[in-house]
Amino acid sequence: MKQRALWSVAVAATLALTGCGSATGTSSSDGTSGRLVVWDWKSGDKTATAYVEKAKADFAKKHPGVTVEFVAQPFDQYYTLLGAAIQAGKGPDVMMFNGGGQIRDRVDALVPIDGFVAPDKQRLTGWDAFTKGGKVYGAPVTLQGYPIYFNKTLYRKAGLDPQRPAATWAGFAADCAAITKATGASCFALGNKEGVGIQFFLSAFGSGILTPQEYDSWVAGQRDWTSPHVKQVFQLWKDVSDRGLNSKGANSTTMFTDAFGIFQSGKATNIIGLMSDIGHWKDFNEFLGPDNVGVMKSPVITEGTTPSLPFDGGVGYAVAKWTKDPALAADLVRSLTSTEPLTSFYADAGAVVSDTTVQTSDGGAAISAIVADLKTGKPALHVALSSKTIELMGRLSQQILEGTVSVDDALKQLGESDRS
Amino acid sequence: MRLGDPPPLSARPAPLGRADGAGHARGKTRRAGPLSGERLSPFVLMAPAVLVIVLFRLWPLLLGVNFSLTGDGDRNGVAVGLDNYVELFADPLFLGSLRNVGWLVLLLPVAVAIPGLLATFIHLRVPGHRFHRSVYFFPAVLSPVIVGSIFNLLLAFDGPLNRVLGVLGLGPVDWLGDSHVAMFTVVGVHVWATFGMALVVFLSGFATLDPALLDAARSDGATLAQVIRHVIVPGLSRTIQFVSVTTMIGMLTSMFGLIYVMTSGGPGGSTYLPEYYIWIQQGQMNRPAFASAASTVLFLVMLIVGLAQVSFLRRTGRED
Repeated sequence: MKQRALWSVAVAATLALTGCGSATGTSSSDGTSGRLVVWDWKSGDKTATAYVEKAKADFAKKHPGVTVEFVAQPFDQYYTLLGAAIQAGKGPDVMMFNGGGQIRDRVDALVPIDGFVAPDKQRLTGWDAFTKGGKVYGAPVTLQGYPIYFNKTLYRKAGLDPQRPAATWAGFAADCAAITKATGASCFALGNKEGVGIQFFLSAFGSGILTPQEYDSWVAGQRDWTSPHVKQVFQLWKDVSDRGLNSKGANSTTMFTDAFGIFQSGKATNIIGLMSDIGHWKDFNEFLGPDNVGVMKSPVITEGTTPSLPFDGGVGYAVAKWTKDPALAADLVRSLTSTEPLTSFYADAGAVVSDTTVQTSDGGAAISAIVADLKTGKPALHVALSSKTIELMGRLSQQILEGTVSVDDALKQLGESDRS
Repeated sequence: MRLGDPPPLSARPAPLGRADGAGHARGKTRRAGPLSGERLSPFVLMAPAVLVIVLFRLWPLLLGVNFSLTGDGDRNGVAVGLDNYVELFADPLFLGSLRNVGWLVLLLPVAVAIPGLLATFIHLRVPGHRFHRSVYFFPAVLSPVIVGSIFNLLLAFDGPLNRVLGVLGLGPVDWLGDSHVAMFTVVGVHVWATFGMALVVFLSGFATLDPALLDAARSDGATLAQVIRHVIVPGLSRTIQFVSVTTMIGMLTSMFGLIYVMTSGGPGGSTYLPEYYIWIQQGQMNRPAFASAASTVLFLVMLIVGLAQVSFLRRTGRED
């Protein structure tokens, strides 16, 4: 009996060991110049096939002898797997990152690529999200932003002009009330099960509440969590919920993808969505029709603010510290961010890409409005926060909605987390 | 056993028969020396098991404990003493996850009583008991991710269950979005998904129950409650203990999938369990050493719960 137990342990351990081995073994690279391994979570998507093929072709022109292997990891496990690779000190040569906290927390494992990507600095935008301490660690592929999308059909049904959405909070709330009365649709579709709703909310309405100075110093790292305007953002988060403007059951609704579903089915007038990946203009166009999807910036909530589109570099590629030839790996990163592949990525996946020379005039009103707003756009407020503070903010936002934590208490905790 | 000369030869005819001259000679010297094959064989036979345990269990465990005494990020690899543990026990989220473990222990009797009661009904041949038996077992073959997704739909705020409650005139309950309810919802779903296995164990326990006792109780006019209280529970005490132990282990080790799919630890961290906390710290926060400290604490918790159960089992075993 005991023997059998021991044997089953042996078998289980062996299985576990070989299991681990196959997860990292096939994809880890010995760093020889003949082969580069790329980790990401995009290359397995159908919509990214042409993008990857074109990037490979571009790289093959420059380095015909080097084979490039893409390993598509599941996104929910991506940073766990990457963490294991970083801990082991070996893994892919080039890897995909989300801009902001995810890459900044891991720059120890990366090579600064300023020198290699200098020629792309003008053509691409969104570098800030891949920069830490003045050094660039990744090149942006897509831009990620948080536009407020609205359903023009619902506006028309309520007798409102969808070409001219309200520019003040009072007007916006009045429009919402009118639409809810006429159609029964709630003002916002909100999903906060993952704690993501508050991130979108903070960034989308931040520029309508914080003064430009406050906004810029927040992004630069000078965050005053006790300022009345910061409190107003979180108070608004609570008020919107208390006044019943959100879709019901926000804390048990996922942003990805239940909340997007609520908006797409016309049960909510507005949603703070994304620019790339999913929950973006292309998804909404498919469900509501390109003519019925509108985009607005935050209404003015406090006097003297100039609302802007919050956006940053979305995803990008970085070069691992342990790669044998950083220049070669950086060249692959340059191929992955060259114009032709990015054009494919825009066309197939609907991603708003980092390359400002990619033409987007054929995509409908929503994408045109987004691209037009990029020039005056600013980095999103939540992207400037560390993953630790983001995670805490997610939990506190759920508790604020429930009423188990006060806005003041939440801000106190967030301030402490942000300083540590 | 081995008193004469022949047994060694006849006991190991194969190696001797197969060996060539050199092997034969080596065999002889081995048998003559202090490290004879006779004496080595138990060690050789034990070695795989011991090596497996030491290499794949104890050594990684020690590495993990050692790793938990180092820092993360800027302090990567630097010994930081008990800093991680101090931070861990100051983190309300981790304390909340331990409190939830406490809830699991308290909910154990319910999780054992449900399959026990249903098995009793099946054993007493309620109408359609064959059908019930297979239906009860069915969820046990589903993966937690599938179960979680199904219940996400059923328990959504605008989902079918709340609609039924609405028809009955009861207010909607945010099953997964209310921090006072969510943990119980998840445990309830876990029990639903796993009680089939416990039910089967109970049914096999019933097979050992003397039917004459049941008949005697019935002919004496005992009610169902009295039959359960005085005949079934005492007769199945060993089975109940076994189910308690396995259910507890199941609740402590296999809730991750459900929590991941159903609540993501929310709302407000109210459904965190240590496992989920470890995963967040390692995967999302990029703090492997801190996660190791949490793992070490979880290991100790499991050890205490496990030892308590073993001693409980031993004590009741002696009574038999």
